[in-house]
Amino acid sequence: MPQAEGARVEGKPPAAARSTVGARLMRAMYPAGTNSTYLRWFGLAMLALAAIFPWLGGPFYTRLAIETFLLGAVALSVDILLGYAGLLSLGQAAYFGLAAYISALMYLNVTQSFWLVLLTVSAAVGVFSLILGAVAIRAKGVYFALITFGAAEILSKIAHNTRAIGGSDGLLGIPVPRIPLFPGVAIDLKDDLVFYYVVLAALVLIYVGTRRVLDTAFGSVLRAIRDNADRVPYLGYNPFWYKLAAYMMAAQIAAFGGLIYPLLRGFVAPNLFGFEVSTKAVVMSLVGGVGTLLGPLVGSAIITFLESFVGSYTERHLLILGVIFIVFVMFLPDGLCGLARRMLISRRKA
Amino acid sequence: MIKVTNLSKAFGGLRAVDELSFEAQPHRITSIIGPNGAGKSTAFNLIAGTLRPDAGKVELAGRDITAEPPYALTGLGLARSFQITNLFFGLTVFENVRLACQSLEQRSRYLVCLDRLTAPRTRAEEMLAEFGLADQAGELVGNLSHGDQRRVEIAICMALAPRLLMLDEPTQGMSPSETAEIDALLKSLAGRVTVLLIEHDIELVMSLSDHVVVMHQGRKLFEGAPEAVRASALVREAYLGVDHAAA
Amino acid sequence: MEDLLAYLHFVVLPQFIDALIIGVALALVALGLTMIFGLLDVINLAHGELYMLGGYAAFTLLGWGAGYWSALVLVPVLVGFVGWGLEELGIRPLLPRADRAIVTLLLTFGVSLIFRDLAQVIWGTETRAVVAPLAGIAGAAGVFVPVYRLFVFGCGLLAIFATWWLVYRTQIGAVLRATAVDPSMVASFGIPIRLVYGLTFFYGCALAGLAGVLLSPIYAVFPTMGHDFLVMAFAVVIVGGMGSIIGAVVAALLLAQVQGLASLWIPPVWAETLVYGVMLLVLVVRPGGLFNRLGEA
Repeated sequence: MPQAEGARVEGKPPAAARSTVGARLMRAMYPAGTNSTYLRWFGLAMLALAAIFPWLGGPFYTRLAIETFLLGAVALSVDILLGYAGLLSLGQAAYFGLAAYISALMYLNVTQSFWLVLLTVSAAVGVFSLILGAVAIRAKGVYFALITFGAAEILSKIAHNTRAIGGSDGLLGIPVPRIPLFPGVAIDLKDDLVFYYVVLAALVLIYVGTRRVLDTAFGSVLRAIRDNADRVPYLGYNPFWYKLAAYMMAAQIAAFGGLIYPLLRGFVAPNLFGFEVSTKAVVMSLVGGVGTLLGPLVGSAIITFLESFVGSYTERHLLILGVIFIVFVMFLPDGLCGLARRMLISRRKA
Repeated sequence: MIKVTNLSKAFGGLRAVDELSFEAQPHRITSIIGPNGAGKSTAFNLIAGTLRPDAGKVELAGRDITAEPPYALTGLGLARSFQITNLFFGLTVFENVRLACQSLEQRSRYLVCLDRLTAPRTRAEEMLAEFGLADQAGELVGNLSHGDQRRVEIAICMALAPRLLMLDEPTQGMSPSETAEIDALLKSLAGRVTVLLIEHDIELVMSLSDHVVVMHQGRKLFEGAPEAVRASALVREAYLGVDHAAA
Repeated sequence: MEDLLAYLHFVVLPQFIDALIIGVALALVALGLTMIFGLLDVINLAHGELYMLGGYAAFTLLGWGAGYWSALVLVPVLVGFVGWGLEELGIRPLLPRADRAIVTLLLTFGVSLIFRDLAQVIWGTETRAVVAPLAGIAGAAGVFVPVYRLFVFGCGLLAIFATWWLVYRTQIGAVLRATAVDPSMVASFGIPIRLVYGLTFFYGCALAGLAGVLLSPIYAVFPTMGHDFLVMAFAVVIVGGMGSIIGAVVAALLLAQVQGLASLWIPPVWAETLVYGVMLLVLVVRPGGLFNRLGEA
């Protein structure tokens, strides 16, 4: 849903805040524009909650929260495409799964170096998203969702049927590496608490980085494409490259989730390509609020914890997911963040 | 400035534009008129890159732009507006105009934080002031009145710093007072840019234009100064039954 | 040389015939999808589940003692009504919205999730078998095809022909094609657009249901059968051109052959991957698919 940035008069950060690095980080987290003031505070509140969560939740819920972060990254990637470029990708799981499998295979057979794996995954996802993106974006608009859907499905079937990479059972026993940062300093992910904060920090970095990139002229063209794709070329922009750039960026972010996932669960399986990831990412994005960037992360938290809760009572989580989804599509298309924003605006006017 | 030679486009069996040739002089206002179905909008689309011609050539300041896609043409100095308002309705007036101004920036500056990109912002503010839209800068375009939306259309085109401004029925749906405003506006622009206009409002055309091209059934029927067009029996015949201009 | 001929005769030809039969059934599913899109601009992601419903409905009816032939007639009608319900309750309210293309896609997406889970609730997760009504094998020139499959082929062709005739040779079809081009114009003639949309959905889903009944004795019935079919169905619709009836049929036959013949030499999963790859290649050359949309020049 479009974010009206508003005239330049409001929304300027105070002069003193412009100087320091920390202040610039804060500014990057603040979405530009008056209507999003609440978003800024809400985001900070969520961050605070996330920071103290491990002490509230205990070990099981801490691990669940890490999974929330990883799936949240995929949901974020959906939002970048849907909320900013107007592209509905039903196959972000392709990159999540690709990253997970490459990651797993490398840890099991090739290396224990975290950074080497990261580079390989990023390169592979980059190539894949370039090719698939170029074809899918150039094709007629409605096809995009179907093509991306097909890509994830095909990868899922390949993984399912290839004994060499585990077949339907997947790959087990993936070791948890240590992440070397500087000479002599390394992060050991075996500790749940350390794992949690590392992933949280990475997610915050990704979120801030995404905000920053979308808060540019590039981002405004994306938003224009979403609003009225036909008019954009007449302003001098070739929409293809903007969409492709957004798609490749989204692929990298979804891949982040897949990169870490095997380290969390210790195994990979074909369902990581499947609709469970792709579907949930779209649902999370919608429930949280498309176009807000924060929405998908909120949505991820809600859906993941809801599923875990519901899962202890019934197996019908697919049904419930579907119902929630439909309710939001038909009645709350703005998602929860959008709803909150509308409530806040109407209260401000009253 | 813009020279069209033997431009043709057919849809199935229908010859929408048939061997159209004309020239629009720099810094002059040239209008294309004709009864409904004459092929005016198609001709516009052919010039502006929306459609590819079956045959013929389009030259902008001597350069062949026949096969160029729309997004390349703005860089060459061509800006067009649309008959049916085609703006970014979910963005504010300011954002709409700034988007056009950004287009003038170098692509390498595209990842700079929007706050810090001063040139497009300043230019957008100037444009808004020039076209009387400064008060509505923060309004969503979708909420504007029709007349204001048409002005945003023109503002966006001018923001692109074009050499050739192509306007497709700019006063469509406007009241007489609004039309008079557009009349004055376009006259003030004529010194800076070349204007190519499609219009149904014959009074406006006669008042504004330096040169008029009359189209009928895809072909050029007549071309000349407004007075000559008004006096032409040929033109009158084409418009028979539709009484616009008092002879 | 003789070996090659024998190979072609006894290995390739049967596979070709088999793929032809599958292609016809695939065409039925794709036809429904493409007609719904051509008319309403709606991509029905639940279409696979309607195909699945057709299979389960056949299983259930047969379980209640109905004959296969009555199921063959009843099931498409039943599935058609489900489709109509989906259209009235879910799609219709969303049609006026500006982002209807995405929103209806998301809606049918959600519906497909629900249907799939409901199927598991009602019928369980095991694969169910449906007995073919026709036994026996027909053969000619050393090539043998089960009689039932020949029947499927014939039935499918009949349905395709009926669809073509309906769309291009009847008044209703003319209305349909006109509505695809300009709904408001058609509405101004006093024709109830509501009904046109509803009927299109009904018919498209009925075709999917028919495919479900026809294929159930061959492939058996299980909850993800629709979902598995979907990639092929989408590939067909995209290659053929969304909204084109000819496109759906041609592409279905073509892609079924690609998959069928490729399966002779590479594992089935890679055959399907090949089909997907073919789809991408077609899109590089023709981003809109092979044929144009219903009503377009």
